[in-house]
Amino acid sequence: MENKDTKEKLLRQFAPQLEKVSSATLVWILFLLGVIGLGVYAFVTQVTKGHIVTGMRDNVVWGIYIVNFIFFMGMSYSGAIISGTLQLFRTEWRKPIIRMAEYLAIISLLIGPGYILLCIGRLDRLYYLALFGRIQSPITWDVIAISTDIFGCLIFLYLSILRDIASLRDFSELKIPAWRKKVYSMLALGYTGTPEQEKRLRRATDIMATMVIAIAIIVYSVLAWIFSVTLQPGWHSTIFGPYFVIAAVYSGTGVLIIAMWVFRKVYHLDQYITRKHFVAMGVLMVVLAALFGYFTFSDYLTKWYGSEKNDESLIRILFTEYYWPFIFSNYIGVLIPLLVVGIAKLRTITNITLSALVVIVALWFNRYLIVIPTLESPYLPIQDSRPDWVNYTGTWVEFSLMAAGVALFCLLFTLASKFVPVMNVSEMAEIPKPESSELFKAEESLL
Amino acid sequence: MQTQNKIRIIFIFLLCCYNLVTSAQIKKDSATAITPTITFTYLNSNDTIILNANIFDKKEKGVFAIKNAVIEFFASGDKKTRNLGQAKADEEGNAVLKLPVAKGLPQDKDGKTTYTAKFNGKDKYRPALETFTAKFARITVNFSKEDSLRFILVTATQVDRKDAIKPIQKEKIIVYVPRLFNLLKIGETDLDVAGKGKVEYPGNLVGDSLGNIIVIARIEDNDVFGNVQGQSSISWGIPKQYYLAEKPTRELWTPIAPIWMIVTLIIMLTGVWAHYIYAVIQLIKIKQISKKKPDSSS
Amino acid sequence: MKDKNENKKSSRRQFLKKGLVAGAGMVAGGSLLAAYIDKSKPTSGEKVKVLTTEGELVEVDKSLIHSPRVSREESHKGIPGRKFVMVIDLAKCKNARKCVESCQKGHHLPSSQEFMKVYLLQDSEKSAPYWFPKPCFHCDNPLCVSVCPVGATYKRSDGIVLIDNERCIGCKFCMTGCPYSTRVFAWKDYPEYAEDKEPYSPEASSPGKEGTVSKCDFCPDLVRMGKLPYCAQNCPMGVIYFGDIDEDTVTNGAETFRFSELIRDRSGYRYLEVLGTRPSVYYLPPVERQFPVESGFNDLKESVKNRFKNTPYGKTHKL
Repeated sequence: MENKDTKEKLLRQFAPQLEKVSSATLVWILFLLGVIGLGVYAFVTQVTKGHIVTGMRDNVVWGIYIVNFIFFMGMSYSGAIISGTLQLFRTEWRKPIIRMAEYLAIISLLIGPGYILLCIGRLDRLYYLALFGRIQSPITWDVIAISTDIFGCLIFLYLSILRDIASLRDFSELKIPAWRKKVYSMLALGYTGTPEQEKRLRRATDIMATMVIAIAIIVYSVLAWIFSVTLQPGWHSTIFGPYFVIAAVYSGTGVLIIAMWVFRKVYHLDQYITRKHFVAMGVLMVVLAALFGYFTFSDYLTKWYGSEKNDESLIRILFTEYYWPFIFSNYIGVLIPLLVVGIAKLRTITNITLSALVVIVALWFNRYLIVIPTLESPYLPIQDSRPDWVNYTGTWVEFSLMAAGVALFCLLFTLASKFVPVMNVSEMAEIPKPESSELFKAEESLL
Repeated sequence: MQTQNKIRIIFIFLLCCYNLVTSAQIKKDSATAITPTITFTYLNSNDTIILNANIFDKKEKGVFAIKNAVIEFFASGDKKTRNLGQAKADEEGNAVLKLPVAKGLPQDKDGKTTYTAKFNGKDKYRPALETFTAKFARITVNFSKEDSLRFILVTATQVDRKDAIKPIQKEKIIVYVPRLFNLLKIGETDLDVAGKGKVEYPGNLVGDSLGNIIVIARIEDNDVFGNVQGQSSISWGIPKQYYLAEKPTRELWTPIAPIWMIVTLIIMLTGVWAHYIYAVIQLIKIKQISKKKPDSSS
Repeated sequence: MKDKNENKKSSRRQFLKKGLVAGAGMVAGGSLLAAYIDKSKPTSGEKVKVLTTEGELVEVDKSLIHSPRVSREESHKGIPGRKFVMVIDLAKCKNARKCVESCQKGHHLPSSQEFMKVYLLQDSEKSAPYWFPKPCFHCDNPLCVSVCPVGATYKRSDGIVLIDNERCIGCKFCMTGCPYSTRVFAWKDYPEYAEDKEPYSPEASSPGKEGTVSKCDFCPDLVRMGKLPYCAQNCPMGVIYFGDIDEDTVTNGAETFRFSELIRDRSGYRYLEVLGTRPSVYYLPPVERQFPVESGFNDLKESVKNRFKNTPYGKTHKL
């Protein structure tokens, strides 16, 4: 059941964003395009001059690119898992934020694989992956898994925006060019909300929600296995699959909280996205923080306690050369959200958002500390007189491309919000069923 | 003795003179003329004489082979000197000449032949010359089994002037089996007065795929005979195990994957894509319902 | 005249080495010729040694061979009936680096790429440091091959692990897969690559290709011509032995041993056996050394010497 009035009201609220681009937004988009342009220049430099322009060398063969790959893929899986779970459990507070989680899933999924491509020395031979693919290689698993995931997330997103698109098609007040109307009407598939259509849509959405959760777990485990199937000390760990999945969801909750804060401010959604939602996401973040802390602790504890020669030297590097990043990512990155959300007085929107920011940066460093120090401490000690072959430092090319990725992420998010509202209007307009409102009350008592 | 030596000396002297003249000419042409070094090796193998002249330029930095240098070979005895032919040095500076028949080579009174390898000079290189004297000999290899022991029997003979065959006495014989890059020593013995020697055949030597193994007996670095070898084949080797590359295994590192991996992948992909298709079918149904509806209303 | 005799002696001595090789070539004549022989060309009379498809060494006319380098397809097969093994005698190594240099020259590599590396290792604080030449181990359970997504690196029937630089996409997964840091990446198009004018073959690992991975290849192109790999050929100390393990023989050019006896008598071992990679390279422990470890620092380039500054030995000794 939908409440028509609520829906109209919501559509009216979102109409300005869909209708025109404000000058501030235009500046923002141009800025993002500028950053992306810098990335394109860096990419051209890397292609013409070779990978020598990056900080990667024979020991540290994967650098910031792979860190970003893990990071963006993690956000994507997080988006998929959060939106899928909230959808399946019909959690009431999902309604204003589930669309953002879906956008997060698909947008970062489109950017993430780009980073692994930057690691590849011969992009001109990329199609060999399809032509000569070997099933034994975790990279092939990853190629299959990511492409499957992209399709799954696209279908899931489409199912989720279908009702809103239909609403936009039917919303006569919307002042948009005729071609856009046409696009909406085409994409809406003639959905009018008949019980039969609604039933089928719900069924498909639930199936896809289950699928995206399952695939997200598999795909991110596959990504973790790229590292853990090798014999490298620090990577050769059985815990890596679940550890990566948890870290991914953890980082994603952080990004989602920030997206909530940004859109709340920019699109004036204060009345829809309230402290309640921030606290709910915050609680989720705390649960994941605890899990993440637990996995991190297990992983390093076993390495440290057994202190096999190579594990020991890795731990030593982490606590000397990488002392601050290590403390930041694995201590502060866990404790801050625990404190902020745990202590009732600190539980404000700003604080939760700030701790989410800390979580994101900490998680980025966490991945950095998984990839780089391991490669810097192989079984055979690195004996080289060239400092850049011993220790890795990213170059401007890598950082530019990293910035370009973040800019592209923001750009796609901005553009997506200009096409379909960042909030699931149709779901918001839905009249909650009695039992779910009970559930919601139960949640409310917690807040 | 004296006459033959004299002749040999005269021959060498003449060659040297020739060299001096030509080298003097080259000296005029270029101030950086280099005298190459030749190492000359002689091997008498189953009645084939192999002469190898390795020509190189010895520098401080190391040894540089003189490619394509033309080496002329001569054999000389008491009276005659015969031109044996010429060979071109390869990439490593080796110029190799094989004489299939040992008979009819000039000999001195003791049946010895002096071999000469001569380089006439080319471009910046001065001429060079190297000689080697050896007497023709022959080694035959036979096998015998005594109880459980297996032996390699070696007989060595030398050919005197007028083709009189005499045993080679008291010389050291080394027995080898040929291997991919080199010869592997499997034993040695001293010849008796009858020119015979006996070496026990060691077990567990790998032969070819049928178990055939070649055994080589050699007199090496001998003042009179130079290097002489004889060889024979016997099926005493352990048959070599050929790895069957045609039969691929399903290891992680082989071109084809383990079955469980393929099965798992197919199951997972089918499961996931079946659900995708199901979801898409629902979307198609939604579209179809919407098309029907206007019909029913009108 | 006395001089002459001396010369003769050295000439005879020289024979010992060269003659042995020649002998091996001669006895194995008459088998099937290698696949890469072109019979349509006229003969030149110049002979070269090649391995036949049967895995035996024969001499053929040089003009019959169109290139000693086999095609990419052919390079997948491996030399039939052979299984190569290397034995490195740590007691004799004094870091002369001739293995590294000759390998780089032979494979047309820049100085920043080393297929063969010489490490200064010290297993524990109180144990003695030693020089450790490290080629590719050509493992029988090669993780690098397992993880390759496009089959660009492969293990052949003769045990050699090769890389096809025309196939490699440069993902570098094999580099992280190898626990021995054996593989090197072409970070740019090094000018040295262009020095090689011959057609590319995975067996030669040359000319190198930008953006792809390469490594020590056990020089099958040389082996096909009956020659030892560059490192084994050029080591002045005879540290590196190479041969066919199925034939139970290894040689460094001057000395030839039965592999099983050498390993038994000298307690040969494989490096990091615990990893289960099953290497094809064996080490003889540095017992009864011929050189003190310090002698390895003689005549070293400053840049090479600086490599060892951070080793436990380098920290306590003046290099």
